[in-house]
Amino acid sequence: MLEDNVYQKLSDAVGERFATRAPAILDTYAFQWCYEIESVQRGEEPSRFGVRPAAVVLPSTSEEVQAIVKICNDHDIKFKPISTGMGPWAGVSHPRSIQIDLRRMNKILEVDPKNMYAVIEPYVTNAELQAELFKYGLMHHAQGAGPQTSPLASHTSFVGPGFTSPYTGFSGRNLLGAEWVLPNGELLMVGSYEYTGKWFSGDGPGFSMRGVIRGWMGAYGGLGVFTKAAIKLYSWPAPIDFKWELSGTIPHYDWKVPPYWKMFVLNFPEWEQFEPAFYEVNDHDAVMMASCSSAEGLAGLFTDTKMEAIEAIFGGVLLHAKRYFIVLVTAHTEREFNYRCKLLKAIMEKHGGNDLIEDGVITPRDAHYAESVRNMLGGHAFRFSNCFQSTHGGMDSIALAVKIAETNQPIKFKYIEKGVIGDDRGEGVWTTAYECGHTAHLEVPTVYDAASVESCKGYAEYQDECNEVDLQNALGMPFFIVGDKVHDYYGPRTMDYPKWLRKIKATFDPNGVGDSSHYISAHKEEQ
Amino acid sequence: MTLDKYEDMMDSCVRCSKCKYIPQIAIKSQRFSHICPSIQYYNFHAYSGGGRMIIANAYHKGRLEWTPEMLDVLYQCTNCGGCEVSCKWVYDFEPNEVIHELRVQAVESGAGPMPAHKRYIDLVKRNNNPYGEPIEKRSAWLSDHVEIDQDSSTLYFVGCTAALRREEIALATATVLNAANEPFQLLGSDEICCGSPVYRVGDRKSAIEIMETNVALFEEHGIERIITSCSGCFNMLKTEYPRFVEHDFEVIHTSQLMADLLKDGRLKPTKEVPLKVTYHDPCHLGRMSEPYEPYEGEKVELLSQVYIWDPPKPMRQGTHGVYDAPREVLKHIPGVELVEMERIREYAYCCGAGAGCKSAYPDFALFAANERVEEAESTGAQTLVSACPFCKTNLQDAIKTRASPMDFLDLTQIVLRSLEGGG
Repeated sequence: MLEDNVYQKLSDAVGERFATRAPAILDTYAFQWCYEIESVQRGEEPSRFGVRPAAVVLPSTSEEVQAIVKICNDHDIKFKPISTGMGPWAGVSHPRSIQIDLRRMNKILEVDPKNMYAVIEPYVTNAELQAELFKYGLMHHAQGAGPQTSPLASHTSFVGPGFTSPYTGFSGRNLLGAEWVLPNGELLMVGSYEYTGKWFSGDGPGFSMRGVIRGWMGAYGGLGVFTKAAIKLYSWPAPIDFKWELSGTIPHYDWKVPPYWKMFVLNFPEWEQFEPAFYEVNDHDAVMMASCSSAEGLAGLFTDTKMEAIEAIFGGVLLHAKRYFIVLVTAHTEREFNYRCKLLKAIMEKHGGNDLIEDGVITPRDAHYAESVRNMLGGHAFRFSNCFQSTHGGMDSIALAVKIAETNQPIKFKYIEKGVIGDDRGEGVWTTAYECGHTAHLEVPTVYDAASVESCKGYAEYQDECNEVDLQNALGMPFFIVGDKVHDYYGPRTMDYPKWLRKIKATFDPNGVGDSSHYISAHKEEQ
Repeated sequence: MTLDKYEDMMDSCVRCSKCKYIPQIAIKSQRFSHICPSIQYYNFHAYSGGGRMIIANAYHKGRLEWTPEMLDVLYQCTNCGGCEVSCKWVYDFEPNEVIHELRVQAVESGAGPMPAHKRYIDLVKRNNNPYGEPIEKRSAWLSDHVEIDQDSSTLYFVGCTAALRREEIALATATVLNAANEPFQLLGSDEICCGSPVYRVGDRKSAIEIMETNVALFEEHGIERIITSCSGCFNMLKTEYPRFVEHDFEVIHTSQLMADLLKDGRLKPTKEVPLKVTYHDPCHLGRMSEPYEPYEGEKVELLSQVYIWDPPKPMRQGTHGVYDAPREVLKHIPGVELVEMERIREYAYCCGAGAGCKSAYPDFALFAANERVEEAESTGAQTLVSACPFCKTNLQDAIKTRASPMDFLDLTQIVLRSLEGGG
């Protein structure tokens, strides 16, 4: 509970209408996806309700954010910023905390088509930004969390792989600068803006700080508040007069696919053939999207409802899909398009593969092309049980990704046999390379039932086992390595990196007011 | 029904925020990306479909007790169903149903509805309409030229708003029906409210009493078919009544009837109506009019943790609303050019008036209407057309408030203009 005078200061900072401590409103910030897993990992019963914040404020400017953060420092209140907010890292962990909801900061401040960057506020969503950028013939990297989530949050504070990663990389690679309200309330401009008034470079002239702000993982909202971000843009491979046209009625929409776009599902007998083919496709810098999943995943991606997906699984996909990756080829010209299609075919034939689309095993509808570039396909995984989460997540080579997939399969299958996670025969993994190179991301999306205690407990146990396997086999760091406990678990075998994180936290957050639950505490004993 | 029925889905909400926006694949601009007027106006997550589902969950689990703020959050929602369309793109959840059920709980526990709602519910009980107008005023819109056939088994159910506030729609409807030689009877001063404003704020008990009274009245008058020009009445009679009372009459909206009459050549629009128009889908004619198909089945675990309904359960995600009929009508009118807004059909933005918001939270209702009129203006159309007197009231208020260059016509009015001898 906050003292009345302290709450009044917060309310004055944003205006009465934009501050609240009504329990009903606060509880909607205490409820998060995957809290049920974290509660099990703490030895509690699974619950999506976590800690209720003491207040929620809705600032509209960076100055208001600074004022709020300074009040937190003055009165020993912890804070956690939130944008669209999806996941346990979005909530607070201490009762004397406030939630800074950035919903009112939702402007696209600048699109610089010549220098190919956009400057955005925290509550601009991927779909909104994409819709506006197409008008310039440009696109951005949208993280796989979905079109309704914040690109600023991902670019500044998370890893951020996405479906277009072969073309657009991951979020951390695309941050060209930021306006950062430090945990002590001061404002720092990161990147070239301070010196040039332009955000073309994240590494200066001027403060770089990208390593401090986010490194690989990001601070998950535990290191101040990012109020603006400049992000890199890419050419949108469609005619300049292209319009996003949708027709039909839910659940089957039609979309006008731009010219020179084509999907392939390149299918190989085993990982042995998959791996070199995946390397070669990415080596040639010829695709917008290239990622793999299980047979069940393929059926889920290219259907519009759960029932359709289930029918597709048993209607042939399960029989024919082995080690495949989905490829989206896009091109600006017919010549470029023909070259890329021929190249894919040659790689496929060289490694003994076949195209499941050409063979009629699965057929993506036109709207699935739209969903692929809008980063909506990952969301289809929720259709199976309304819930999934991912284990592993090593960012290393394609070869290591394949090794994780092979190592994970029997472990996952063990939990499938127990009936606590979704049945994909242990083969459900999702891999994408970054920037058509050899670096790849692999995570293992796993379906479970959030309304079932057994399923939540089973998934939590599975995730713990995956983490242990990653550590023992040097398979790279997991995707969701968050909080003191996990960092300290990996630290001793990974050059004690938590020491450096703690130095950063202590330096920039001397009063420890930034909620550290999904980042790190300044001192080990604070855990 | 109680919140128990929704426990699993309330526990499973991912808090993903999709319910705040139109289906993500449909977003064409940042300006018109939202589906939910409530979150857009009030901003705290609690004001989204998902947010209210969390509140219902917290109340159900005993974490919350009724407070004035909680009641405001619950009732500052037009119950338009937009959140549910977007949610069901991926999930098997029903946030709009949960919101309604929480309203029922609020009323049954004595906390709800809001004072403004209680006032109009009393008026419905006393005067048969929420406006408190005398019963005999219900037929005041009727002019001498309208021909009524009291022996017809077809009833034109005028509805409170068209009869008492938007009389021009009632008159246009009757005139168009006459022009097509479509016989109908009226209940006149015997007609009573369909129950929509009572039902929508959670007073289910009173609403069911109204439904039962109405069904008895229709049977007494030998009614086999009901025509409505009001989307709210249409939704109640067509979609909600069958959930609570047995009846076997057909319900048809004027947009559907006029589309059929135009197709059959019984209505002949010959006069040029040189207007560039855009069409607003009323929530209660569109996504909310999709019937609740009676369902009996069970949840079966097909694969580990993957459940299906056996037999397959209807999704009710707005697929089967009335979207094409009004557009067909507009296409038949010579001189009319239809240009679409970005948010249409099952993901149309609400006018803001529904579920008691116009009476209890007029500032919010006007905000939503302003949003919609701005979107209509962005099409370059000069006239905003819709098919609901309640939408008309609120959208016209916005047109006036923002001094919009647009004007508003009900679908029946624009058809009437196209008929020889019409307006």
